[in-house]
Amino acid sequence: MPLIKTPPPHGGKLVDRVVKKREIAEKMIAGCPTFELKPTTLPDGTPIRHVYREIMSICYGFFSPVEGSMVQNELERVLNERRLLSEWIFPYPILFDVSEEDYKALDVKEGDRLLLMLKGQPFATIDIEEIYRIDPTDVATRTFGTPEKNPEVVREPFNEKHPGYMIYKMHNPVIIAGKYTIVNEPKFKEPFDRFWFPPAKCREVIKNEKKWRTVIAHQTRNVPHVGHEMLMKAAAFTGDIEPCHGILVNAIIGAKRRGDYPDEAILEGHEAVNKYGYIKPERHMVTFTLWDMRYGNPIESLLHGVIRQNMGCTHHMFGRDHAAVGEYYDMYATQILWGEGIPSFGFEAPPNEVDYGLKIMPQNMAEFWYCPICQEIAYSESCGHTDAKQKFSGSFLRGMVAEGVFPPRVVMRPEVYKAIVKWWKVYNYPFVNRKYLDMKNKELEIDLPAMEVPKA
Amino acid sequence: MPHYISVILDDERYAKIKGTPLEEKITYLFGGQLKSLVVEVPEEKSEQILKTFDKARIDSRGYIEDVPVAFRRAVFEEIAKAKSLDVIDKVLERLPEIQEAAKKEDEYIPPPEIE
Repeated sequence: MPLIKTPPPHGGKLVDRVVKKREIAEKMIAGCPTFELKPTTLPDGTPIRHVYREIMSICYGFFSPVEGSMVQNELERVLNERRLLSEWIFPYPILFDVSEEDYKALDVKEGDRLLLMLKGQPFATIDIEEIYRIDPTDVATRTFGTPEKNPEVVREPFNEKHPGYMIYKMHNPVIIAGKYTIVNEPKFKEPFDRFWFPPAKCREVIKNEKKWRTVIAHQTRNVPHVGHEMLMKAAAFTGDIEPCHGILVNAIIGAKRRGDYPDEAILEGHEAVNKYGYIKPERHMVTFTLWDMRYGNPIESLLHGVIRQNMGCTHHMFGRDHAAVGEYYDMYATQILWGEGIPSFGFEAPPNEVDYGLKIMPQNMAEFWYCPICQEIAYSESCGHTDAKQKFSGSFLRGMVAEGVFPPRVVMRPEVYKAIVKWWKVYNYPFVNRKYLDMKNKELEIDLPAMEVPKA
Repeated sequence: MPHYISVILDDERYAKIKGTPLEEKITYLFGGQLKSLVVEVPEEKSEQILKTFDKARIDSRGYIEDVPVAFRRAVFEEIAKAKSLDVIDKVLERLPEIQEAAKKEDEYIPPPEIE
C-alpha cells in the first residue's frame, strides 16, 4: 500500500487574491465607484448572510479554484452538474447580488472595477465580467434539489423553515459577476485570530510545525460533546499503514440558525478538547472557515471536501445527518454521496472518483452512544446492546445547558462546558438568538485598518 | 404512541425528592453520572406542547426536546409537589404562565455561577 501524501489543492493551485502592499492596493482602487456591503436578511430583518465571508473564503483560497462571483453560464453549470466552467466540481452558487435600486444607483457596467466597502473602509474589489438577473427562488430550489428531481436523497420540498434555502431565496435579483481581490487585509478579533489558518498557512503548519503526513478533517458547527470527541478519535484510526497523524477541526463561522451555539464558544469548546488533553494538541488543531452555513447535507459536504482538501487534509469524516437541519434530506445523504454518488446531482460515482473531482478521502462513520452493559462509549456498528443505548442527543444537551445543569464529564468535558458559560456570560444567552445575530452582523469577526481611497 | 420528557436531577433537585417514592423511579444514565426522571406524555398532549412552543420537537429517542427552560422547571415543580410522575395535566394548566416566562427566554437566560 503506497503511503498517502498531502493532496494538491482542488483545481491544482491555491487561489491567493489578497493584495498585501498598500501602494499597489491604492493604485488598484483609485477613482473606483464604491459600494458598502450589506447583509442578506429575512423579511423580518434578521441577518442570515454577509457576503464579506464569501469574499474572504474565496480570496484566501478556501474555495479554490473559485475566484469570484459566478457568471451566468457557471451558475447554470453548478446548478445542473455541480461543476465550474473549468470542469472542477463545486457545490454551491457563489454570487454577488445587489438590489435593482442599488444597481441603478451604482451605474456600473461590464469591465468596470467596483470597490467594496466594509464597516466604512475599503475592503475588496470586484472586476465586473458580467451583470445578469436571477430568480432567487429558482436558484434556492435548484441549489438544494427537490424530491422529484433528486429522489435518491431529497425527502421533503425545501421551504422557508430551511436556513440555507432562505439565504438563496433572499438574494437580490441583480448579480454582478467577476473576480474579487482583497485590497485591505482585515484583522481578526479575539478569539477568532488564534484560529485563523487560511489554506496556504494551514498547509505550512501541517507540514513544518505539526509534521503530519495524514490529516483527517472534522466538520463542526457545534460545541463538542463526548460523542463528537469519540467520533474524532475513532475516525482518526483510518489512515494508511498507521492512523492519521492529525485531526483538523474546521468550524464554520458565520450566521447560524437560532439555537446553535455562539461561534466563540464553538471554537473555544473545541480548543478545550486539546488544551486539557482529551486529544493532545500534538494531534489536534482547531481552525475555522468563514461561511454562512447553508445546512445542505450532501451539497454542504462537497464544500467541506473542497475546503479541507485545500487546507491540506487527506481524509474527511462524515457522520449521519452531516450539516443537516430538519428532515429534508435522507439522514445518510452525505454518506450516499461519498459512498456511491448521487447521479441526479451530477455524481455517477463518489466525488473523489470522478474526473476533476476531489482527492480527499471520505471516512463515513455511524454513531456513538453510551452502553451501560459495555460500560463504555460504544460504536453503533460494534455494540450489540442496541436496546440499552444512551444516545448523545444534541437537543438533550442543549436543554441541560439552558437549565444551568453542569453536565457529567462522560457527556461533556467540564472545560468545554466552561467555554459555553464564558460566552453565555458575555451575551447573556447560551445560544444564537436574534440579538446575537444582530450584534454579529454589526461587529463581524474582523476590523479593517483605515484606508483612503485615492482620486483617479 | 406516547412521548417522554426527561427532567434532569442536579443535587438541589435530588435533595427535594430524596426519601420519597420517586427515588425508586430515577433513571441513571451514562454510568450513573446523570440522574433523571422520565415523564410519559400521551400523544395528544405532546401535540399540544409542540403547538405551544414553536422550537419544541421530538428527538430520535422519542423525547420532547427544545422546550423552554420554564417548561422543564414547571414539570419538576409539579413532580416535587405531587411526589408523582403523573403531572402532565397540572403542567398544561400552567401553560399561559409558562409561555409568559418563555418569551423572556428568547432574550435572556441567567448564566450559572461556576468558576
